[in-house]
Amino acid sequence: MTASSQPSAADLVGESDLTLAVEEVATCLGVDSLGENLFEVLVLAPRIQSLAEPGQFAQLLVDEGPVPLLRRPFSFSRSDPRSGMVSFYLAAVGQGSRRLSRLRPGDQLRMLGPLGRGFSLPETRGTSVVVAGGLGAAPFPLLMTRLLQGDERVVFVNGARRALELYPEERLPRGLSSLVVRTEDGSRGQAGRVTDGLLDLMKGADRVYACGPNAMLSALVEIWEETGPGVERPRLEVSIEAPMGCGFGTCLGCAIPLRLPSGDPAEGPLGLCCRQGPVLDGRELDWPRLLLQPSHLG
Amino acid sequence: MADRDVTLECQVDLGRGLVLPNPIGVASGTFGYGFEAERMGTISGLGAIYTKGTTLLPRSGNHPPRIAETTAGMLNSIGLQNPGVAVVAGEYAKRWASWPVPVIVNVAGSDIPDYVAVCQRLTGIEGVAGLELNISCPNISHGLDFGTDPAQAGRLVEAVRGATDLPLLVKLTPNVTDITSVGRAVEAAGADGVTAVNTYVGMKIAVPQRAPVLPGLGTAGLSGPAIKPLALAAVAALRRALGIPIVGIGGIGSAEDALEFLVAGADAVQVGTANFYRPGIAAEVLEGCLQFAQANALSSWRDLRWRP
Repeated sequence: MTASSQPSAADLVGESDLTLAVEEVATCLGVDSLGENLFEVLVLAPRIQSLAEPGQFAQLLVDEGPVPLLRRPFSFSRSDPRSGMVSFYLAAVGQGSRRLSRLRPGDQLRMLGPLGRGFSLPETRGTSVVVAGGLGAAPFPLLMTRLLQGDERVVFVNGARRALELYPEERLPRGLSSLVVRTEDGSRGQAGRVTDGLLDLMKGADRVYACGPNAMLSALVEIWEETGPGVERPRLEVSIEAPMGCGFGTCLGCAIPLRLPSGDPAEGPLGLCCRQGPVLDGRELDWPRLLLQPSHLG
Repeated sequence: MADRDVTLECQVDLGRGLVLPNPIGVASGTFGYGFEAERMGTISGLGAIYTKGTTLLPRSGNHPPRIAETTAGMLNSIGLQNPGVAVVAGEYAKRWASWPVPVIVNVAGSDIPDYVAVCQRLTGIEGVAGLELNISCPNISHGLDFGTDPAQAGRLVEAVRGATDLPLLVKLTPNVTDITSVGRAVEAAGADGVTAVNTYVGMKIAVPQRAPVLPGLGTAGLSGPAIKPLALAAVAALRRALGIPIVGIGGIGSAEDALEFLVAGADAVQVGTANFYRPGIAAEVLEGCLQFAQANALSSWRDLRWRP
């Protein structure tokens, strides 16, 4: 496919700052089991911890040998500046994540990070609605901790298919203004999809942050569209997924379709999830095209 | 003996004035145009940078998914995403001109005039140390694959040779019955060296979907440690057949791997897929090779060569 003369992805939405990424040999502090096949992997990585911002990710080398070959990207879930700890919230579903879930305290692994563009933090106090679908809760303990440090009013909508797939409440930072729990099967909280009832919450918000399956985020963007016109819409930032190889823009594997600025119906350029994302403004993505592609490495 | 006073000639002369400071380069398609590594601080010490495949016009590449992981390897079907030669020659080369590492531009095209135009545009540009013709990208189909037909490959190289005085490497595809026949053809047509090998055609299947993981025909280029023995065999065969330098590539991720290629007959090597999971590894590969050279009192990398 030949590209027409159109703005580059970096010109359109910006790109990550690779000068901050460092390679560090991290030491596993422990792996906590948090639900059915869900784990929080805690590692000591003081250099990366000191640089990690909410929504950014690290590339974890699961094995020094050739299987699995590629690193695995995970968003920073929690971050503790006193101890130099960062954590990753993951489901043990593939070769890499299963191995990570079996790490033992003292095990070492290479980490490259921080990578990608994270969430933007507010400059003035206001209300943030934070929406998590299942594993999409991963980046939010860190994000909400930072928001609360800035005296932001934080509403957290924690959704999953069922109770065993919910991010555990006891690990959430203290001080949330409101916690809404939804499960699709009604096994905890209100029965329904995480996007149910979001319109009213969004209307009162200054910012909406969301992470979850790409289909959920697409539905959320449609609801967000209903918050206008006529009123100032909340800023909407979503953290998305794409099959990722390197994490720093050279393998070109994690292509994501971008939209041209509002009003231009032409197909926008492909960006990279690792450089333009994983966090983007919800309007920057071409959702119908994004939904056609897988979200994980095959 | 290791204690003899022997100085290693670390440089590698690939001909036509292309002298690499050391034999460990980074492969096309695994290092962009070097700017990510520049920001991450991992270009110092490289023997050469072989850029992403560059075409006459910009290409946005294939629709995702583009990559998949396999046992000790990965499949890619990027589709030659690149900004086009005007940007490369007009903007990127200026930045390379101040780098301590030679930058060799990998060139791709769909017909002879395409290749010739790209190579001409890059000729006489400061910062461009040489060209590597990609006659074997498996991920764009034009019904014509120069790399699998010795006569076609020879005609292409002859045309490019007549259009540029830059050092000219030709990157060969292993997806042929006899790689040496293509190697001989490009040598006769004036190539200064060959790079061997490009990716192997491969496929990954998703049984639940009863279909390949990657779109289109489902085929893609296989790289990584999985192909190293295959690539070594190709390099050894080419060494027996050719007189020109060989740049070996295929699954190199350690000094041991690189030394194996030098023994098999390569004059220089490229670290490829390992750049994705071990950014900066080329410097470690070089360090390991230098230690080996010192411990074994090598005076030149050619001392390693297998001479059956």
